[in-house]
Amino acid sequence: MFGLNKIIPTNSNYNFLILRRNFLILSIVFIIFSIFLIFFKGLNFGIDFKGGTLIEIHTHDNVSIGELRNILSPNFNDLSLQEFGDKNTIIIRLQNINNQESIETINIVKNLINEKVIEFRRSEFVGPTISSELLWKGFQAVSFSLLAILIYIWLRFEWQFGFGAVVALTHDVIFTLGILAIFNVEFSLSTIAAILTIAGYSINDTVVIFDRVRENLRKYKKMELVDLFNFSINNTLSRTIMTSLTTLLALFSLFIFGGEVIKPFALTMIVGVFIGTYSSVFIAVPTLLIFKFRPQDDD
Amino acid sequence: MKNYPIWKTFIVLTLVCLGIIFAIPSFVYKEDSNNWFFENKVNLGLDLQGGSHILLEVQSDVLIKEEIENFIDNIRLIARDNQSKINDIIANENTLNIKFDDASKIEDIRTDFLQNYNNINVLINNNVLKIKITDNYIKEIQDSAIKQSLEIVRKRIDESGTKEPLIQRSGKNRILLQLPGIKDPERIKELLGKTAKLTFHMVDDENISSLKANLAPFGKMIVSDFYDPDVKYLVEKKSSVGGENLVDAKASFDPEEGHAVSFRFDTTGAQKFGKATSENIGKRFAVILDGVVITAPVIRSAITGGNGIISGNFNSQESSDLAVLLRAGALPAPLLIVEERSVGPGLGADSIQAGKIAAIIGMIIVSIFMILIYGVFGVIANISLIANIFIIISLLGTIGATLTLPGIAGIVLTIGMAVDANVLIFERIKEENHKKNKIFEIVKKGFDRAFSTILDANITTLIAALLLFVFGSGPIKGFSITLSLGVIASMFTALMLTNFLVYLYLTLTSKKEINL
Repeated sequence: MFGLNKIIPTNSNYNFLILRRNFLILSIVFIIFSIFLIFFKGLNFGIDFKGGTLIEIHTHDNVSIGELRNILSPNFNDLSLQEFGDKNTIIIRLQNINNQESIETINIVKNLINEKVIEFRRSEFVGPTISSELLWKGFQAVSFSLLAILIYIWLRFEWQFGFGAVVALTHDVIFTLGILAIFNVEFSLSTIAAILTIAGYSINDTVVIFDRVRENLRKYKKMELVDLFNFSINNTLSRTIMTSLTTLLALFSLFIFGGEVIKPFALTMIVGVFIGTYSSVFIAVPTLLIFKFRPQDDD
Repeated sequence: MKNYPIWKTFIVLTLVCLGIIFAIPSFVYKEDSNNWFFENKVNLGLDLQGGSHILLEVQSDVLIKEEIENFIDNIRLIARDNQSKINDIIANENTLNIKFDDASKIEDIRTDFLQNYNNINVLINNNVLKIKITDNYIKEIQDSAIKQSLEIVRKRIDESGTKEPLIQRSGKNRILLQLPGIKDPERIKELLGKTAKLTFHMVDDENISSLKANLAPFGKMIVSDFYDPDVKYLVEKKSSVGGENLVDAKASFDPEEGHAVSFRFDTTGAQKFGKATSENIGKRFAVILDGVVITAPVIRSAITGGNGIISGNFNSQESSDLAVLLRAGALPAPLLIVEERSVGPGLGADSIQAGKIAAIIGMIIVSIFMILIYGVFGVIANISLIANIFIIISLLGTIGATLTLPGIAGIVLTIGMAVDANVLIFERIKEENHKKNKIFEIVKKGFDRAFSTILDANITTLIAALLLFVFGSGPIKGFSITLSLGVIASMFTALMLTNFLVYLYLTLTSKKEINL
């Protein structure tokens, strides 16, 4: 219709894997860079993982951030104020020294700026014990997901597929973290959710290609492996592009219209969809090639 | 349709209809409906309806410290009775070493001590008595502390007038509170932050030297004043009567004293209080709340009726809060707020609004895109997509899951990903379409071939969502629920509903070829 379906290729025959070494090197370089960045620059942990207090306020029209900062700064050390969506919505972040201070902190802030504020929209406090627990749980969730996916793919395919899938997934997770570190995006609980969803999306993509590889391995027993993999990627290319596009459309809608709170999540997901799609083609499939993989005949 | 079994038609249509019917309560807004049908409305999370999520930790190590203190007092008494002199006491986290001048009476002291406590290890090493609290004993203390705390927190929250609170134990020593719709979380936190341990102690105004030296003799303790911490009182360590004997407490107003709290003792309390006051006329007694003296009036006459009032410099809010605390009873140990997330109603409403808009626009764009690419088949996929959304919402409502802001994100994401199964099927049909086959065979092959791919691809997503549910907290759990339901619903709609609609379309139009 309207010739638009031409953007979705049919019967394509691109030689993706001819570039596999270049992309592999590119990915390895970026992964190493990401790990360096994560360790030396660090992720921009939000209060979920760092502990602290966050207050979102809606101020009167004529109130400026500087004014609020002047009121608050004599009373607090680690203070940051930031516009959130529009000029009159401001997020205040404070670091607590210990748990006990929390009740007081929020109260003190509220009393100090009460006149400037129309509405206290939300307040969050995360104590240090909780924040380290949350970080540990997030780490567990990601690790166990990778492990569970490895086992499932192993059971449904062969272990080499499982290995390839998990290499691609680990790549996605570190790659995403690297991008978050570069752009200093706040790392919160919803980032963990986004990363796991990216993992889910990426594995979805990978499985579709692997499924086709498995089918073609049975069908074309004489075909060169590289050609067969290329062929499989091309077979599923239109689906890969279609699904990426529809998912991206929904995510952009979420990013633009879904409100400020959800923005970082949507953004992380958008980045992740690109990375996940890329890794399925250029990481997961080439990993299979390392094994010179051709399974024993089973049918 | 001769190519499509009737039973399958029946199942597909029934499930879709159920999905639509049970989604109705969530779309039709009805406040506080008692109708069972409307109870299937989706619950909104605290981040959408506004409210507070508070996680409290019971500070049971305070209790263990107290228990060690009790041991020391007990041993001192026993040692005095046995005329044995204590040389040194070293108290650690959960052990206590008491060194006596000589070891002659130590065996007797041990026996006497063990009559008062069991489940405790008491070892003798020459002239040192070593008391160790066992892990079991600590666990008992913690367990009873959290059970009592739960009950008292529940009473306090109920008294504060919060509607539909959720109060439950979380893990070993935590209490989770979900308080929907509360407007002033600070007040609730203040109510919870107080132990509210009320005791009455006789004041010793004679021993001024001890007070000056800031060194309490045995059996006494030094307590500061609530309003002026520099003012100190030397009081009896043992209380004459305590808050556990209170049966009622009310905020009251006295023209002379201002805002106050009037209280009433039970029979035991009244007797104890009557005895203590009649024996100590002319002396002062201190009202101690959570370790500070609120007031210390002089006893003018014996108070035998069991009624009394506490007057400090209260304002009306403070006196009514104190009354609430006294009615609910004292917490066995202080509670520490370790996590709090409060959302005002304004932000919640904005989030719902933004989520709705994002979902609707996302849906429209994806639908248009699908029609542009797949034509009539795109329309079919869109019908499945809409059914999918209805099914997710009806499932959320009927299983009583909670919809959170990340949950809405999950639904929007599902819109993008749900069409994936349809895309897989259509692309398969396209591939099969190039061969010279009969039209229904092409369709059947397309669906069959896509089936295992759809299954594998979706189960892996479900695995990630499941682990997110296990390890995630609050709103994130909400996300994993909608994502999981979305994945399951999309498998159903793609493999059953899309399948049915494709057959229906091909039968009705009696097409000879497929234009995809």
